[in-house]
Amino acid sequence: MTVTGVPAKNSQLTAIEESGWGERFKLIQPHNPAFWVYVIGVGLGAVGLIKYFGPAFGTYRLAVTSGIIFFGIYLIPWLLFLRRQNRYTAQPAGLLGAGFLWGGVAATFWIALPANTALLEIWTKLLGPTGAGTWGAGLSAPINEEWGKALGLILLIALAPRLVRSAYDGFIIGAFIGLGFQVFEDVLYAYNNATSSFGVGQLESSLFILAVRGFVGITSHALFSAVFCAGVMWILGRTPGERRVGRGVAACLAAMFLHFAWDDAAGLFQGVTFLLIAGPYLILMPLAIVVLLVVRRLASSKERLWMRELLAPEVESGVIDQPLLDAVSGLHKDRRHFRKLVHSRRRARHLIESAHDLAQEIATSGGHETPRVAHARAEVLRLRGGPALAAPPRPLP
Amino acid sequence: MSTDIRGWVPVEHRWLGLDRRQLKPAIFVLVVALLLIYGWPALNAVVPWDNPIKAGDVLDLGDGATAVPPVGWQLEDGALVSDNTGVSATRDTVRLAMGGATINMIGASFDGSASQFLDQVILSEDPNANISASPTTFTTASGLVGVVRTASGSEGDELLAAFKMSNTDPATAPALLVDVNTVPGEFQQYSGEIQDLLRSITAGANE
Repeated sequence: MTVTGVPAKNSQLTAIEESGWGERFKLIQPHNPAFWVYVIGVGLGAVGLIKYFGPAFGTYRLAVTSGIIFFGIYLIPWLLFLRRQNRYTAQPAGLLGAGFLWGGVAATFWIALPANTALLEIWTKLLGPTGAGTWGAGLSAPINEEWGKALGLILLIALAPRLVRSAYDGFIIGAFIGLGFQVFEDVLYAYNNATSSFGVGQLESSLFILAVRGFVGITSHALFSAVFCAGVMWILGRTPGERRVGRGVAACLAAMFLHFAWDDAAGLFQGVTFLLIAGPYLILMPLAIVVLLVVRRLASSKERLWMRELLAPEVESGVIDQPLLDAVSGLHKDRRHFRKLVHSRRRARHLIESAHDLAQEIATSGGHETPRVAHARAEVLRLRGGPALAAPPRPLP
Repeated sequence: MSTDIRGWVPVEHRWLGLDRRQLKPAIFVLVVALLLIYGWPALNAVVPWDNPIKAGDVLDLGDGATAVPPVGWQLEDGALVSDNTGVSATRDTVRLAMGGATINMIGASFDGSASQFLDQVILSEDPNANISASPTTFTTASGLVGVVRTASGSEGDELLAAFKMSNTDPATAPALLVDVNTVPGEFQQYSGEIQDLLRSITAGANE
């Protein structure tokens, strides 16, 4: 049994309470009206999806199936990457899956498809076909799509009010909602591109879309939504001290501007041939990545504080030392510094992961001593190779 | 002492068995979604088209190919030569509308003859459509040779015309599909303007 000070223990309990870490997520909540809105959205989105792709399974079967396979494979590295980003008080897979489904089915086929069609036609009427061709997409998609995706976050807050608390929660959930939107939209593009050639060369058409959309997807919906949803969380301010309306509005507008600029790059760079070709990649992509990194850094500050408070008693009792605490609760540079300190990338990764495991077990147990907490603590000590400060762990149940 | 069991809604927060505390976000999401889904179409319905074709307007079909649209029709999609927008011959789309009639012109990449292109279009769009069995040849004023097929049914009349946009090397040239649809009984009213449009199609500057 470790001995810890009262202030540290109180901070730990506050961090557990505020972050909601360790809560289980349950999607099916018949008493919760948000659950029924989610069901309506995804259900009607699924109907829209079937109506859209239904006819395709005749002539355009190859384009659609190859699109599904290609973008299904494309999804794997994305999931691995986002799994790494889901650090600190990590969100459960079920919650992120629900976000992904909202983005892919409800936001795309229930909201964006009819809304974009109508708004694009309005712009065509107001600006003429040429003006709408240049500016219509950028003046439609950022409104309909960013809002459509963010509505999923609002529903998830209502479905898991204790779990979705910080701006970083919004950042991660937004990324998953955006990823769902992106992948489903990519399959839609594969189908649309095949229809533009009336079904000739469908496999080549899907490969072309994979190459184009796959590359530009690096700074597309997952990024836009991560930034937008972090902004929504700042506006809502669901944890003490995190209500930053100005910052939140700025993040939402930044996501919408990046979306607009990407969709209307031809209009923005018209007249400069070099920029017309290279502008999206040399200007817009780096700009989007800078915005993403800044928002991620700002959004993670609360989560990093929680992590420090959660592990404070373990630092006091010597289970975790300061460099390890800095690494598990810090930024990329802190983890890099820790790697240098322990002279082994592999050992550093194991130590950080074991400290994270300990934090997670403490959060799940509500700050109580359980066999799992003791085991996680013993694992940290085993990996550190230090003195056995904790009692020998009891066998796991 | 309060109950804190998962899923347990305290009686004072219940409304028709639902948790009233989550009504606000649920209604917010529903309202915003419905505004986006039905609000834009409603607004679209009250904004009229105001982009009529004027005398002297010429459609840009890409790579120098052109067509002269009927005066007074609404140009709902597509570019005019005067717009100088750099249209791609294999990706251009034009939509003209007048009363119960629409004309869609779609450029595509296709290797083969105009007849083969039209067969591919029919195969890809609706193989069971009531397309007449006998395709007819249509020659434009500039000498482009196309293939025309028509269909008629309870939903209206349709004319499909396919061209390869080159007199000298039609097999590898971009293809153009002209798809005319009218409500029942109105095709005759517009047939003269449609014929003039088809006849005005030119293959472009490189010919």
